[in-house]
Amino acid sequence: MNTDLLILVAIVGLGTWAMRALPLRLPFFSGRPGGAMSRFLAATGPAALAALTAASFLPLATPDVAVLGPTLVGSAAVVGGHFATRDMAAAALVGAVAYGITVWLIGV
Amino acid sequence: MPRPSSAPPASFRHGARTSLPITLGYFPVGISFGIAASRAGLSVFEATFVSMAIYAGASQFLALTLLTGGAPVIVSALSVLAMNLRHVLYGPAIMEKAGPGAPIRYSWAWAGWLSDGGFGAAYVGLQRPGARFSERWMFGIGMGPYLAWCSGTAVGALVGTGPIEAWPAVDAALGFLMPALFLAMLLSVLSRVHLPAIAAGLLVSLAGTLTVSATFGIVMGMVAGALVGVAGWGQGRDTDRFDLDGGVH
Repeated sequence: MNTDLLILVAIVGLGTWAMRALPLRLPFFSGRPGGAMSRFLAATGPAALAALTAASFLPLATPDVAVLGPTLVGSAAVVGGHFATRDMAAAALVGAVAYGITVWLIGV
Repeated sequence: MPRPSSAPPASFRHGARTSLPITLGYFPVGISFGIAASRAGLSVFEATFVSMAIYAGASQFLALTLLTGGAPVIVSALSVLAMNLRHVLYGPAIMEKAGPGAPIRYSWAWAGWLSDGGFGAAYVGLQRPGARFSERWMFGIGMGPYLAWCSGTAVGALVGTGPIEAWPAVDAALGFLMPALFLAMLLSVLSRVHLPAIAAGLLVSLAGTLTVSATFGIVMGMVAGALVGVAGWGQGRDTDRFDLDGGVH
């Protein structure tokens, strides 16, 4: 195996594991219930999901109708699927199928 | 409210079921990485090893770009690690949701599987009424997406784009699966109490991504939303959830 690749993977693998595992052991992150750290972490989950959603949709927001059209239809289908089923798997699947069908229709 | 100790522990199987959508979504993205790694000159073994050891989608693509671009190893490693900084808050955010006294004895093992999707699945799972936290459940949450990511990488490096190229609509639908999952997870946690944090996360993430980079945007969006939580906006309405007709229950 390429030595540079091995060193890079070792450093990044260990570092990423440390970033995920070590904060769980740090007293810094376990404040009293209702305290500032508790409120910070309680809001982190929804904020992270919002940020990840924004970052994953931004590359799809282009003036090109062949990309934007399926994105709008797929997103609307996710929202509709969520309110119809309250199930994230079903909502995402409905959205992906709607996206694929729209791509197919535009391609035709 | 999750009950970490007073009820029977949530099972591994329940965790695996909770993260099943992420498992299904990670497989095609893993294939994409396998294809990219193969094109960058990595063998099937090397590509799969990268996914097994790092297990962080976007940063693996960056690692490939830096490595094939000839950047120094240490500079490449630090750049990729900087991209993963957001993961620092995932574990503590889940434990906050799990409630006081939630066990972390084996967190050194399951926390390594806290990818973006794994974190989202765990957070959404704990949001459900009657949700219970256990370390077995966390192993169940993490294992499926991890195996899907690694096996997808191997398949991508081995087979390439050939079989899917004949079906562009299917390829496009698979590509939309992860954005669709993030949107579905966001809708699952949407409530009046979280709305200020979500709005701040969305706006700051968009601004940061457009002006600097997606990595910067995600971290700044998370921090901005969390600070809105510290400020207390939206607090005191913890039971309010959006309903189909715009009301709350």
